[in-house]
Amino acid sequence: MPDLVRRSLILLPVLSWPGLARADAFPLQALMAKLAAVTERRATFREQRKFAALTDTLVSTGTLLYRRPDYLEKDTEWPQPERLVVDGDRVVITLANNDPPHVIPLGGQPEVRAMVESMRGPLSGDFGALQRLFRIDAAGDLASWTLTMTPQDPNALKLLRTVRVAGRGDQIRDIRVIQANGDEQWMQIGPSS
Amino acid sequence: MDADRPVVLSSPATLEPSPSGRGQGEGVAGWTPVGIAGPHPNPLPEGEGVVPGRRRAAPILFAFLLAIAILAAVLSQITVRTDMAEFLPQGRTAAARLVMAEARTGTATGLILIAIEGAPVENLARISRQVAAALPGTGLFQLVAGGEAALPQAEIDMLFAHRYALAPVDWSAGAIRAGMEGLLRQLRSSAAPLAIQYGLADPVGASAVLLRDLAGSSQVRDIGGAWFAPDRDRALLLVRTRAGGMDVKAQEEATAAIETAFRAAEPGPARLLIAGPAVFARDAARAIKSDVERISILSTICIVLLLWWRFRSPLVIAAIAAPVVLSVAVAAAALQIGFGAVHGVALGFGATMLGVSVDYPVLMIGHRKRGEPAGHTRRRIGRAFILAVVTAALGLAAMVFSGFPGLAQLGAFSAVGLATCAVLTWTLLPRLIVAANLAPVAAGDPAWLPVLERLRRWRWFGLLPVAAALAYLLAIGGPRWEGDLDNLSPVPESSRALDQELRGELGAPDAGQILLVRGPNAESVLQRQEALMPVLDRLRAQGALTGFDLAARLLPSAATQQARLAALPDAATLAAWVEQARAGLPFRSEAFQPFLDAVEASRSLQPLRPTDLAGTLIGARLDPMLAPRAEGWQGPVVLHGVTDPAQLKAAFAAQAPSVMYIDMRRELGGILSGYTARAWRWLGWSGVLVLLVLFAGLRSPLMVPRVLGAVLAAMLVTAALLTAFGARLSLIHLVALQLVAGVGLDYVLFFARRQLDAEERARTLRTLVTCNAMTLLTFGLLAACQTPLLRDIGETVACGAVLAMVFAFLFAGEAQAG
Repeated sequence: MPDLVRRSLILLPVLSWPGLARADAFPLQALMAKLAAVTERRATFREQRKFAALTDTLVSTGTLLYRRPDYLEKDTEWPQPERLVVDGDRVVITLANNDPPHVIPLGGQPEVRAMVESMRGPLSGDFGALQRLFRIDAAGDLASWTLTMTPQDPNALKLLRTVRVAGRGDQIRDIRVIQANGDEQWMQIGPSS
Repeated sequence: MDADRPVVLSSPATLEPSPSGRGQGEGVAGWTPVGIAGPHPNPLPEGEGVVPGRRRAAPILFAFLLAIAILAAVLSQITVRTDMAEFLPQGRTAAARLVMAEARTGTATGLILIAIEGAPVENLARISRQVAAALPGTGLFQLVAGGEAALPQAEIDMLFAHRYALAPVDWSAGAIRAGMEGLLRQLRSSAAPLAIQYGLADPVGASAVLLRDLAGSSQVRDIGGAWFAPDRDRALLLVRTRAGGMDVKAQEEATAAIETAFRAAEPGPARLLIAGPAVFARDAARAIKSDVERISILSTICIVLLLWWRFRSPLVIAAIAAPVVLSVAVAAAALQIGFGAVHGVALGFGATMLGVSVDYPVLMIGHRKRGEPAGHTRRRIGRAFILAVVTAALGLAAMVFSGFPGLAQLGAFSAVGLATCAVLTWTLLPRLIVAANLAPVAAGDPAWLPVLERLRRWRWFGLLPVAAALAYLLAIGGPRWEGDLDNLSPVPESSRALDQELRGELGAPDAGQILLVRGPNAESVLQRQEALMPVLDRLRAQGALTGFDLAARLLPSAATQQARLAALPDAATLAAWVEQARAGLPFRSEAFQPFLDAVEASRSLQPLRPTDLAGTLIGARLDPMLAPRAEGWQGPVVLHGVTDPAQLKAAFAAQAPSVMYIDMRRELGGILSGYTARAWRWLGWSGVLVLLVLFAGLRSPLMVPRVLGAVLAAMLVTAALLTAFGARLSLIHLVALQLVAGVGLDYVLFFARRQLDAEERARTLRTLVTCNAMTLLTFGLLAACQTPLLRDIGETVACGAVLAMVFAFLFAGEAQAG
């Protein structure tokens, strides 16, 4: 029963990693130029998931890799290996067991596609797509900043409350996705190499 | 009588005595004994002018106008059909009838495949979305698919509510525990938001099974909210019209609506392609209509021009036209009475047969000597004339009795037309031409005749092409035969190719092999399918096939749904199992309350039935897989990757007729070969009859082999030429070859007349060349048709007629005549 919006949630933490957008009184152009100068970035991550249905917080760790222009990989190493790759116009999820990879063609989900473009946009210098999808509040300065993004689409709002992206300089360090039901995914990202 | 007097008496030819010397006053009372001929205003070496009398033109004009009026009246009264159903045979065995019925109702579903290509992907997606959004508003379509929602949310919710009736579930504490562990894994994965949405309410995974079954085998890519072909930039849409596919008018409206929606979407350079059975019907109807119109007009013009060149007299043309036009009217009326309607293809072919039937009046007028009473002309050419008519009619027998509905109409139209034209020519025409003093001006003993006839000295060289054709056909092991019934349909090949391509891209190829499951109602069909599933699974495990699709997988029978609901564990047991399964997992105690509630709600559900799905996308998916037929319901199980048809056939043989294994291609091929065999039989019988007629008619046993030989030579060389140019010979070619024989016998019989003076031989040659040219022109036009059936006939007859003329001239005439 995957609905477009719901499916897009799968990708949100990943896609919003370098996701930035224009906001008033924030030197986005400068930040953008910094981000675009990097052709490849690799970083470790630690992710915590809180679900209302669970007594425990689920923790996982792994590495993130972005390569210009349109390749993004999230490699979960522990405790349950999984690899999620956004490449061109599709998303491939491979689990450690020998199940065939799960392929999501981005085109089927305009929202997901828009988000992929919005992620690639900042890195290549285009924030337009992200702005069409989210209302963006920016805070801080170039050295330390936070962007709070709220979906524009009312349907998306039914499932997703906010996405908060924080970073230092040209590095994104923290992505927190809060769903409408209160469930939370919080990804802390180590320094890029 | 003024009218009997020569108008001009300057041509020496007019001074010739009448041939029998007793022509004056003979013939039918009141006939003008003396022909009137004048100098041709512009004499041509090989042309013959005709000079009409002035006063007695009225009867010809009257007959001509009357014939036109009758034809117009008939055409306004008959029902002309251009659909394809008329053309498909009924089939004679039970399986064959079934397959044909399936093919026909399959074509009646009004399915239209739409492709948009030739622009950047984003534009294609936008256009596709706009078209998809515009079509439902027209009210013409039952289904428009190819856009964003694979299924609308309401339908997803309905399926989800019925999940424990629709999907099999293992009800046990162990299974629930396994489900919970799986859910926990998913919560750790990228699929977490999805898993939390459905997993807590369905830890046993019934909805996942439903999803998998719904996904089917479609391979379309989704780009920008539109379906795209798997390996090219081509947006795809699938729509189904409310009207049946055979309702040509409604299909015209539907396709027009699609075109309008496409244009409204500012397509720029993008192209719109549409295919599908419904479009076939429309295309075939359009092609037939344009073919018929073109052929009727062009062949009429060609014949009139040719006759003008030959006779230089509008009156002669009117005289020739009268019986021909009248014969078309009679043939159309006969078809309307005999078949209840006239098919457009038959009309088109009938227009072409003018090129043959017009031979008779041309032969009659062309052979008349100046001043000769009509009786003399008839006496001189009588035997050849009657034999030619009889053999030509026999030549159409294979068509009439082929049992192939479309061909039977063509044959009947032609046979009635030919016979009527011949009878009218024999009875009516002489009065008219004599009354109007029509006759070709004799060109005496033309110088070219001996030159041409001297060619016959080397006629044995004419056997060379025959020997070559025979050797060629033997060398390649006989001509190639067409085994595909589709290729006989009036649908243009380009339309069929596009349909195949789009079906392939949409992942919905034509069913090649099916198990047809039948029952008195939908429920019984679904139950029978369910009983088949374990057998099919076993066969798949054994490698007899790679997979199968059936309705029962999308919608189980009501009995199965009820049984599943009845087997649900009671609330207390389930709650205890959930508690037991939860032990040691980080789920809160209330986490699975949605699951317990859902199972509770399921107990009171009524099973979903096909009627509940009417008007939904799932219903549209189910439609071709489960549908009412004239007798009960049927649901084809589509088999994929069949490697062992014999095993499959054997596995289900005992369950006939409610379960039948059908190899569609094989059955259709079988039907075709049945008709071909029948055509061969008729070819044989009419061959025997022609032989008998010739022995009786020619009264010279020695002539029979020559007459037949010339015709057979033409048929053989034609078959070899068609094969050499890549044609696959079919039933159509076979009956067309028989038509060649009928036309060829005309020529041979006229050439075979003996002891004629040079003047008569020249008349014969000229007249036959005229006839041949008309046949060539009209059938040549037919060869340029879009409708495959007409084109095949046209090519065969045009080629055969020319060869028949050559062989007839070489072999049937006397080597040293005169």
